[in-house]
Amino acid sequence: MLKSKTFVKKTRAGGVLKIVREHYLRDDIWCGSEVCKECKDEAPVLQEDACIESNLCAYPHYLIPDTNVVLHQIDILEDPIIRNVIILQTVMQEVRHRSAPIYKRIKDAIHEKEKHFYAFTNEHHRETFIEREQGESANDRNDRAIRVAAKWYTDHLAKETNGGSLKVVLLTDDRANKEKAEQHGLIVYRCEEYIKSLIGNPELVDRLALQSDERNEITGSKLLFPEHLPLSRIQSGIKNRVFLQGTFHASRDNYLEGTVYINREGEDINEVLLQGLQNLNRAVNQDVVAVELFPKERWVAPSSVVLQDDSPNDEDAEEDETEKKLKSEPLESSILKPTGRVVGIIKRNWRPYCGMLSQSIIKEATRHLFTPADRRIPRIRIETRQAANLVGQRIMVAIDGWPKNSRYPNGHFVKNLGTAGDKETETEVLLLEHDVPHQPFSQAVLSFLPKMPWSITEEDVKVRADLRHLCVCSVDPPGCTDIDDALHCRDLPNGNLEVGVHIADVSHFIRPGNALDQEAASRGTTVYLCGKRIDMVPELLSSNLCSLRSNVERLAFSCIWEMNHNAEIIKTHFTKSIINSKASLTYAEAQMRIDDTTMNDDITKSLRGLNKLAKILKGQRIEKGALTLSSPEVRFHMDSETHDPIDLQTKELKETNSMVEEFMLLANISVAQKIYDDFSECALLRKHPSPPPSNYDILIKAAKSRDFSIHTDSAKALADSLNDATIKNFPYFNTLLRILATRCMMQAVYFCSGMDSDFHHYGLASPIYTHFTSPIRRYSDIIVHRLLAVAINADSTYPDLMDKHKQSALCNNLNYRHKMAQYAQRASVAFHTQLFFKNKGIINEEGFILFVRKNAIIILIPKFGLEGTVFFENKDKPSPHLSFDSEGPTLKVEEHTFHIFDKVKVTISLDASNIQHQRIRMALTEPVIPGVSVPAPESEPEAKKPKLDR
Amino acid sequence: MAAVQVSEAEKVYIMHGVRDDLRLDGRGCEDYRHMEIETDVVSNTDGSAKISLGHTDVLVGIKAEIGKPKPMVPDEGYLEFFVDCSANATPEFEGRGGEELGMGLSNTLYKVFNNRHSVDLRSLCICPGESCWVLYVDVLLLQCDGNLFDAISIAIKAALFNTRIPKVHISEDEEGVKEIVLSDDPYDCMRLNVENVPCIVSLCKIGHRHVVDATLQEKACSVASLLISVTHKGMVTCVRKMGGGSLDPESIFEMTEAGKRVGKALHAPLMELLQKEESLGKKRQKVGFLG
Repeated sequence: MLKSKTFVKKTRAGGVLKIVREHYLRDDIWCGSEVCKECKDEAPVLQEDACIESNLCAYPHYLIPDTNVVLHQIDILEDPIIRNVIILQTVMQEVRHRSAPIYKRIKDAIHEKEKHFYAFTNEHHRETFIEREQGESANDRNDRAIRVAAKWYTDHLAKETNGGSLKVVLLTDDRANKEKAEQHGLIVYRCEEYIKSLIGNPELVDRLALQSDERNEITGSKLLFPEHLPLSRIQSGIKNRVFLQGTFHASRDNYLEGTVYINREGEDINEVLLQGLQNLNRAVNQDVVAVELFPKERWVAPSSVVLQDDSPNDEDAEEDETEKKLKSEPLESSILKPTGRVVGIIKRNWRPYCGMLSQSIIKEATRHLFTPADRRIPRIRIETRQAANLVGQRIMVAIDGWPKNSRYPNGHFVKNLGTAGDKETETEVLLLEHDVPHQPFSQAVLSFLPKMPWSITEEDVKVRADLRHLCVCSVDPPGCTDIDDALHCRDLPNGNLEVGVHIADVSHFIRPGNALDQEAASRGTTVYLCGKRIDMVPELLSSNLCSLRSNVERLAFSCIWEMNHNAEIIKTHFTKSIINSKASLTYAEAQMRIDDTTMNDDITKSLRGLNKLAKILKGQRIEKGALTLSSPEVRFHMDSETHDPIDLQTKELKETNSMVEEFMLLANISVAQKIYDDFSECALLRKHPSPPPSNYDILIKAAKSRDFSIHTDSAKALADSLNDATIKNFPYFNTLLRILATRCMMQAVYFCSGMDSDFHHYGLASPIYTHFTSPIRRYSDIIVHRLLAVAINADSTYPDLMDKHKQSALCNNLNYRHKMAQYAQRASVAFHTQLFFKNKGIINEEGFILFVRKNAIIILIPKFGLEGTVFFENKDKPSPHLSFDSEGPTLKVEEHTFHIFDKVKVTISLDASNIQHQRIRMALTEPVIPGVSVPAPESEPEAKKPKLDR
Repeated sequence: MAAVQVSEAEKVYIMHGVRDDLRLDGRGCEDYRHMEIETDVVSNTDGSAKISLGHTDVLVGIKAEIGKPKPMVPDEGYLEFFVDCSANATPEFEGRGGEELGMGLSNTLYKVFNNRHSVDLRSLCICPGESCWVLYVDVLLLQCDGNLFDAISIAIKAALFNTRIPKVHISEDEEGVKEIVLSDDPYDCMRLNVENVPCIVSLCKIGHRHVVDATLQEKACSVASLLISVTHKGMVTCVRKMGGGSLDPESIFEMTEAGKRVGKALHAPLMELLQKEESLGKKRQKVGFLG
């Protein structure tokens, strides 16, 4: 049956269009219930005995939620307890229109077999389709469609079960809708009412989202915030340049301050400072907001005060005083920044937040404040009756809304992640907070894995170079299971050397566009945490089929050079190949073979050849101005049983490390050149921009304090002056300088060659660079493999590979994932460091001053690669006399002057006073400054450390 | 225009018939042929009507679009006409064959309808001097069997009656930027007042008498004809002479009087019919083009 749907639409140009769509109605849409005999559904989704214990409905029933219930209570619907739900097409369409993430979640729920969610296409069903009537708004029409569908189900099921007990229950929070549904004889409840009636699942109630319209309006009618402007006003305001649109970034250190980054081109102001709760006006980190600029007289400078929102109670007053603190800053007109206020929110970017509950002082209260782990997120008020159970637990909370008369946003409990401080929980938290996708791979993804047992086929042998006879070996850190590179070196009859780098051929297994490829592209990188690895590709590939383990035949992508003994490349050759690695060595093992003069087998000879060439290559590279930088990296020795860190040491670099690195760099550069030559518009490359000169200020000042001058005009000059800066009886000085130099650098990024013109890699002093050598753990390398395979006619191309805009979008995701992975890694190290010190108690260590600040010094402990801050200002105690000289920079505390690079002694301990933000605390023991330093622990080992407040 | 070959003898026969007030198909001189009207036949227009008069078939569709008012009359909307002579109607229209006729027809229609006495053009104004509704009247000739003007004018009147223009209003923010806001409800529409929309009556002079609704054969016997557009009150809004022959003043007067009389009689049943059709609402069985 054919109907037509007619509607009028306004076009962007301002015209009005009448649009007519054909709409077909069918009579073969089944109800999806197991009970039904009439419908010829082959695999009914809805169960016959749909039992859930409820006070209100003692009979088996199916639920039909309306749009608002799905939108607001998706957390509830996702709970495994809630099953046998009919999701109407009307609801789906409305949800899709209003929130893409929730649409995705409800779709996922429908796909999950155990949930028994059934999507009923009522809009195309002959008996449930309704046309919009005169005078009916779109919403009313949809509500009516939902009621009609619910009514149809009621009648249909009653007929099928001969008046049996199976019923449908409509869930709606709309009062008018509920009344009308009751008039039609439907069973209808409010969502809250229904969830509260469920027996034995009280925790679900906490996950109910608060409804802002009803009595849940917390606190009086006092308006704390100015009203947000409606979207239409905001849009016209932005068009007329009265308002600016940008992304809001809350300050990490000061909850009353934030910055909006304006992302419009041609705008001379690209940052707007916001100060004070009123001006922040309920913006939450990452929201897209509209801001209005203040006139110049009201511009202020960002305050340097650290403020944490830690008032214990839920009071909405008492803010004025703190805000005053902000204002009393001395004003220098040069540091004033454009200041403004938020007038409206264009798009909320809320996600569920991890954090902890701060229990209300009143014991029986059900309203509590939740403190997110991320300091940039305001505290959230939630309602729960299980507060006592949640204290000390890491929980997840979603924001529902932020009414203008509430100091804090309102939210609801989503899930409990586990005990705070627990290793599993904390890892989960840091993965969630850094947006690292870490769910197990879905069935769809796994279905694209090769079937086991897998072996190399005849066809593979035909199209690939057979390099199985070569003496290939791999060198990796101990315990590495995802080996993606192997090397060989042999003498050629003409006296030259043949060097080969063999990289796991991941792109053979991951074909473009399938679910496996999409998942890998979205993950972007494997994330290595302490004692845990979050794979980019399923384990079968990462640790088995792609991993170039010894004595198995593996597919590889080889880059083979012919070199003379001065490491000059005579010929470069790329080929897909089959290899059989003869040995998987660790760096230490390889080093031992090279050093042991008694060993003379093929592998050792090969390694020696490689090592020799690598040294020459490195020399050449450094000659060109490549930087050798340093950052203190630590490695934990884990207890094999408990996986607790038992020892901690900085990573040691052996010659073999740099040997492997050298050939990887060479392969990457060779490949980068090749793919750029062949695809100048769409090659995926990596660049490292040279830092702006101002970045080096701190390094130059620091070196000057020891009478060295650092030249930063070029990478070469910088490398040379770093090499020259050594002090005889202070060997660590040079490392410290290099650590500082590392901090001055820019972030290296992926980009698409067609979208950029500056390809230079500053740190490696190479005009072009890419990533080719780790396809198991980086998606960028997979793309590079595909490009190279096309370039050598070993594989076919596909449209997305040649589309520079798609390529560029991919690069953005990869850059984001890499950054987040790095942060997650650091957070994991920090957490394990805390665990380590928790077990150790208080330790006395030697360290160096890395930075001098106005009220603190930052100290690096070389032994642990640990950085910590010693503050000289206390909240409760009178501060010692401080005088800061920004030229040195030096800080004079009482009588003692601290210089950068000074050697000090500190005690290290774990400060667990705030479970959420545990931190390593350092206290000065040497030099001794009365009133500031603490006695060394040896002098009174058993005495409990007096709590030293910051 | 499509012509038929008529022999001298046939002409004499027809002229004698007309003289005795009895035409070939048995009609009197002031009688129309059988007429069928259906409105709302094209769903993606804002108003449409199809008419068949004898074997003459005409489809009219009206689209409303937002445009800029003419500078001379800033507070009025306007109508645009386009007549498409489909090659379906007669093979002569193939290619650009129908273009001249189409232009001629649309110019005449423009004269007859695009004035504030015929259509309430003020009601088409959205914002004086800035925006107004422009009604694009598209006429499609599906089959020609004489008397195109009358058929087209009746179809236009029916289509205008059927036209529903989405309601819009102007919103203005503090800066004075005006924006057109469209009503969310598709039923929230503006109707046109078609009371004064005239119908065209064309009278063909045959011998000493004149006939209305001439067939192609009758047309071939006539040397001159007169178009008269008449409102329901019998007011003549436009008179136009067509054809190569001449008309003496006395017969012009006679023909005008006859035109007024016929035109007046045409309006009442037409409106009655249209209202009756509308009252059937959605239950009405649509006939469309296959009926």
